[in-house]
Amino acid sequence: MEKLQRIQPPVFPVEKVFIPEVTSFSLNNGIPVYLIEAGNEEILRMEFTFKAGQIKEHLPLLASTTNMMLTEGSMDYTSEELNRLLDYYGAFLNLSSEKDRAGIVIYFLNKHIEKILELCLEILFRPQFPEKELNSLMKKRLSWYLVNREKVQNLSLDKFFESIFGKSHPYGYQLEDKDFSMLTPALLTDFHNRYYTPGNMAVIISGRIPEKTTELLNIYFGNIGKGNPPSEGSQTVLKGEERKKIHIDKTGTVQSAIRIGSATINKRHNDYPGLKILDSILGGYFGSRLMKNIREDKGYTYGISSSVSSLDLSGYKMISTEVSSENCSKAIDQIYNEIILLQHEPVTKEELNVVRNYMAGEILRMFDGPFALAESFKSAWEFGLDNKYYHRLTEKIKSIEPDEIINLARTYYNIDELYEITVGTK
Amino acid sequence: MIKYSRFSLENGLRVLVHQDKSTPLVAMNILYDVGSRDEDPGLTGLAHLFEHLMFGGSVNIPEYDMPLQKVGGENNAFTNNDITNYYLTVPSENIETGFWLESDRMLELDFSQKTLDTQKKVVTEEFNQRYLNQPYGDAILKLRPLAYKVHPYRWPTIGMDISHIEKVDLDQIKEFFFSHYAPNNAIITLTGNITYDTAFELSQKWFGPIERRNVKPRNITPEPMQNEERTLTVEKDVPSEALYKVWHIGPRRSTDFFTLDLITDLLAGGESGRLHTSLVRDKKLFSEINAYITSDIDPGLIIVQGKLMKDINIHQADEAVNEVIAGLKDGTDIMNEMEKVKNKFESSTVFSNSSILNKAVNLSFNELLGDPDLINKEVDEYRKVTREMVEEVAGKYLVPSNSSTLYYKSTRKVK
Repeated sequence: MEKLQRIQPPVFPVEKVFIPEVTSFSLNNGIPVYLIEAGNEEILRMEFTFKAGQIKEHLPLLASTTNMMLTEGSMDYTSEELNRLLDYYGAFLNLSSEKDRAGIVIYFLNKHIEKILELCLEILFRPQFPEKELNSLMKKRLSWYLVNREKVQNLSLDKFFESIFGKSHPYGYQLEDKDFSMLTPALLTDFHNRYYTPGNMAVIISGRIPEKTTELLNIYFGNIGKGNPPSEGSQTVLKGEERKKIHIDKTGTVQSAIRIGSATINKRHNDYPGLKILDSILGGYFGSRLMKNIREDKGYTYGISSSVSSLDLSGYKMISTEVSSENCSKAIDQIYNEIILLQHEPVTKEELNVVRNYMAGEILRMFDGPFALAESFKSAWEFGLDNKYYHRLTEKIKSIEPDEIINLARTYYNIDELYEITVGTK
Repeated sequence: MIKYSRFSLENGLRVLVHQDKSTPLVAMNILYDVGSRDEDPGLTGLAHLFEHLMFGGSVNIPEYDMPLQKVGGENNAFTNNDITNYYLTVPSENIETGFWLESDRMLELDFSQKTLDTQKKVVTEEFNQRYLNQPYGDAILKLRPLAYKVHPYRWPTIGMDISHIEKVDLDQIKEFFFSHYAPNNAIITLTGNITYDTAFELSQKWFGPIERRNVKPRNITPEPMQNEERTLTVEKDVPSEALYKVWHIGPRRSTDFFTLDLITDLLAGGESGRLHTSLVRDKKLFSEINAYITSDIDPGLIIVQGKLMKDINIHQADEAVNEVIAGLKDGTDIMNEMEKVKNKFESSTVFSNSSILNKAVNLSFNELLGDPDLINKEVDEYRKVTREMVEEVAGKYLVPSNSSTLYYKSTRKVK
C-alpha cells in the first residue's frame, strides 16, 4: 500500500456564516417579543429581561437580592411550591442579575409552555418578598461571600472593578459585611415596582416555537399595566481611581492572581470589532500570544486570557491569570512585553490568517443552536444593535490589516492607562 | 431518538457516526480507554499529564492547536478516573483537518523534552490552582484515600502527589503512550453535518494505516467491602465548616445505577430536593448542600457535601443529614416527588443531547460501556425505578458501615 503523505489536508475558508432572522412583535400592552426559530428538539429557551441590574440600585445588593427573591414566594404559591412545580415540569430556571440587566432565563420542554408561562407570571409580577425568606437568603449570601473572599480570583476581580469604575459607582463598589443586613422587604418591593414593569422589559424566545405562543403570551403578559416609567438609576459619575497599581497581600497563598486592564469602548463604537480581533490575538484563544508565551513556553500558569466586554455606560478590557507567586512579577513583565510588541511589530500574515479563521469559526459556534442564537442576539440587541453587528464583525475579521492592529493597540492599550491588580503572597 | 451507525477498522478502531444536518459544524470526539485507574501507584497523574502532552505536537505536525484554529476549529479534552477524552468542533467543510490532526497524534507524539518540562510546570500550577489555592480545595484529596484503601480510585486524576509528575521522564512517557494510545483502545464519534460515507472514507484514509498495538492489560484489585464506619477530621483556616460524606456503590453498569442516580436527585435535584428543603430552608444548618454519584466504571461513590452556616455544630449537622438519608428508607413519596425527578431527568437528557458535542461525548462513553444505545434508553431505565427500589437500594448502600465522613473544621471558631 502506498504510504500516506501526512501533509495537511486542504484548508477551506470559513465563509458561510448563516445568521437566521429574528421575528419581532409587541404584546397588547407593548412588551416587545423576539422569536428565533431553531433546533431539532421540542425545547424552548425563554428569557425575560429587565433594565433592573446593579446600575439601578441605590443600596449594594438590592438589585441582585430582588432578583434572587423572585422565586421565594408569590401571591398564589409559597417558595417551596414554586420550586417544586418548576422541578416537576422539568424546567431549568436561571435567575440572572448583572451590572445592567436582570431577569430570568427558563429552559423547558415545549409541551409544558402553558404551565411555565403561568409560573413565570407569578415569579416576575407577583412576588411577595417574605421577610423570613429574605433573612435566610441574606445569611446564606453572607456565608457565600465570606468563602469567596478567600479566593484570590474574587479579591482581584472586585478590586479591578473598583479601580476602573470608581469606589462609589454601582459598576465598581465593593461589598462589606454590613451590606448583608441592610435590606428589607419594603426596599425590595419598591425596587421591584419600579423596574420589573412591562415598560422596562423584553422577551426573547428560541427553539421550536409552538404556534400558540403569541396567543399565550398575550393571555399571561399582555394585560399587565405598563407601570410608571422607571426612574433613572445611579447619578454617580463613572470615573476610575487615581491609583493604578495595587497589591493586596494574602499570605499563605501559593498562587497570585493578576488582573490588568482598564475601562474602554463598548459595542456601540466603530472600533469595537477591531478591538475584539486585537484582543483575540493577545489573549482571546488557546493559540493567543499570552497563552503561548506564559503557559506554553514558560509554564508559569495553568491559564491566561484576555477579554473585552461591553456595558451599557462603558466597556472594559481585562487580562487575567493566576500564576505561581514566585513568577508573578516575571509574568507581569511578559504581559507588558506582549502589549508593546503588538504596538510596534506588524502581525504576520500567517498569524492573522489563523486568527481570522478561528474567529470565523467562533461566529459559527455563536449561531449554532437555539441557545447560542438567543444569547448572541441578546448581546447585540441590548446595545440597540441587531444581528447586523455580527455582519460588521465578520467583515472586519476578513478585511483588517496589520497596520490597523498596531493603531488599535496604541490607542486602546496605552500602558500608562492600565490598572494592575495583584493578590497573593508578596 | 438519536440515530447512529458504527463500524470498526481492521486495526480495531471503533467509529460511530450521527448525522445532524441542522448545524454547519461537525464534532469529533476521541475517547481513549485509559484513565488514572490505569496508573502505577508510584507514578500517578500520568494519564492527565498525558492529556497536556497531546497538545505539544505529534510526529508530523509540530503544533496541534494552530492548524485547527486556522480552519475555524476549537478543541479541548478531559481526563477522569476511567478515560481520557479529546474533542473538537470544526466547520463541516474542514473536518478532514480533524482526522489529520487526531490520527497523527495517535500515530506518535513528538516526545519533546521541552514540552514535557513546560507541561510539568503547567500541571503543577493546575494542581495549585484547583486544590491548594481554593478554600476546601483539598477536601477531595483527603476523601478519596479515606473511602478507598486498595483501588486506584484512591488517588485523584491529577495524581496522589505532585512529586510524581515532577519526576516522570521521557522513557516512561513513551512507554505509557505505546501501551495505552492505540487504535484498538480508542473510540471515535462524529456528530453533526457529516455523512456515514465521508466518515468511513476519512477514517480509513487517516486512521487505517496505524497499526494495532499491544495494550497493557488492565489488572486492578477490587476495593474490598468496607465494614466499619470511617471518619476523619481536619482543621483549616476557612470561613465556615464543611461536611463531606461518601458511601460505596456498585459499578456503572450495575442494575442499581439508575436507582442510585434517582436517589441523589431526590436528595439534591434542584431547589426542591430533600436536603436543600430540610437542611438549608427549614433547619438553616447549611448554606449549601449537594449530592451526586460518581459515574465511575468500577464501583464508585455517592457523595454528599455541604457548607455549614455559622455557629452550627458539625456533628449536629451530620446527624441531620443522616435523618434525611434515613427518610429514603421509609417509603414516603412527598407530593409526587418520584414523578418530579423523572420529569426533570427526561428534560435534562433532552437538553444535554441537543448539543452535537454532548452527543459525541455520550455516544463514545456509552460505546465504551458496551452499548451506545444507552443514550436512547436511559430515560426509560430511569422511569422504571419504583419507590420500593429506592427503599431497597438505600437500605443496601446508605448504611453507616459503608460510609466515610470528613469533618472539615474551621480554626476561626472564636470571633
